[in-house]
Amino acid sequence: MSVSRTFTRAFSNSSSLSRAGYSTVKPVHHLVKIEKAALKPNYQSLLVPKDDILAVGYKPTEIDQDRLLDHYHNTIQSDLMLHFYKHDAQKISGNKKRSWGEDSPYKMYRPQKKPVGTTRQTRDINPINFKNIPQLESVVVQIFNKHALEDSYLNISSRLLLSQITNVKAKQIYAKANILPWKMRAGKPCGAKVELTGVDMSQFITTLSELVLPRIRTFKGIKLSSGDRSGNITFGLDPEDVKNFPEIEAFQELFPNLTGLHITFKTTARTDDQARTLLSSVGFPFYKA
Amino acid sequence: MFKSMIPNGNHSHIITNTIFKTFSRGKRTATTINAATQKIVNQLSALSASRKQPKLIRLCQEDLIKHRTIVNAWKVFKRQREQKRTAQLKKQYESIVNAMEDLKTSSPELFELASEKPKKAVLFPLEMRTPTDYPANTPWIYNYSPPAKFIKAKKPTTPESS
Repeated sequence: MSVSRTFTRAFSNSSSLSRAGYSTVKPVHHLVKIEKAALKPNYQSLLVPKDDILAVGYKPTEIDQDRLLDHYHNTIQSDLMLHFYKHDAQKISGNKKRSWGEDSPYKMYRPQKKPVGTTRQTRDINPINFKNIPQLESVVVQIFNKHALEDSYLNISSRLLLSQITNVKAKQIYAKANILPWKMRAGKPCGAKVELTGVDMSQFITTLSELVLPRIRTFKGIKLSSGDRSGNITFGLDPEDVKNFPEIEAFQELFPNLTGLHITFKTTARTDDQARTLLSSVGFPFYKA
Repeated sequence: MFKSMIPNGNHSHIITNTIFKTFSRGKRTATTINAATQKIVNQLSALSASRKQPKLIRLCQEDLIKHRTIVNAWKVFKRQREQKRTAQLKKQYESIVNAMEDLKTSSPELFELASEKPKKAVLFPLEMRTPTDYPANTPWIYNYSPPAKFIKAKKPTTPESS
């Protein structure tokens, strides 16, 4: 039973029924997710922003003087601006993704070529002026606990350790890959991580540079070669060194199997040298390995 | 049980026992977990947020208005402080640029020297400290010189060469 073509092409209602048509309007209704639960009147109290005193989770933030930030604004910032000033400096463009060209319409929506030699783009390096003086953004403290791969309850103590040291609740991190010799399975909890900003960051840095690091006898400093080439510097602490944190020192029996820490300083500096100069201003020594 | 209901002097103590019996659903035993498990439970409870949520602050209308006024004033103060800081930095930056421009025209040799940049990272001295509320009795050592091992040894000048 075939419908004749002349009939389907006719200017009538039945034509649209037998044709496989499509809409040119993009369907949006199921792409934009709307949390209708949040519209419930019971949840109105949860929608109040957290810095409002009427909010359920209100936590006063500015309760203390930030010694490190004050020092930065009063002394370091202008020094850094003068130090990094370079006359007639130009922007150094990063390694960016490349266009395929515009000579053919087929290249129009093609995903761009990868950057030369790498897979990741790098950032532009702008000359330092009064608007972009390097500053500490955040500090990421991370623990990898290999014992937790076998017994996941062992991860609780490393989470607690991190939370005690940093005053921020630590997130659990999970293994991403299956690596047989390390007994690693994807999805197993294997450590903890916190990202510190603001007062917590300043507090952690002062504790580290004034209390912990001076008591490590073998500590020489952060390696001058450390850095990810875009202004973020990482160093590690051994399990023995972690004992020097005042929060751990008095309760060593609570943390029988200590693990080391990885500490990453994220800065707004775009080169490692700038980041090192910035970090040395808060009392971190560097050494040539 | 039935025996105890019979009024008999001999069984009086049984009566009291049976009447005042406390009933419980199932058998209750004291839960004992070993020390290691208890330790983990303690650690978890230290991490979890339950029972640590502070009470919701209930302010009267007047207190709320007071609080909001103070918060707004603090925000204004912070914004003005930030603007002042930025203006100051901008002024400093412009004077650096002007000075270098000036030097470029007036003395090219000095300009070359001034615009030389070290290839390695220049670090702040380790002796520099973040200021504290209670400084030492001698806050600043005016005639400070670094320890001997940090001073580069100068080449001894022989009398013949001089």
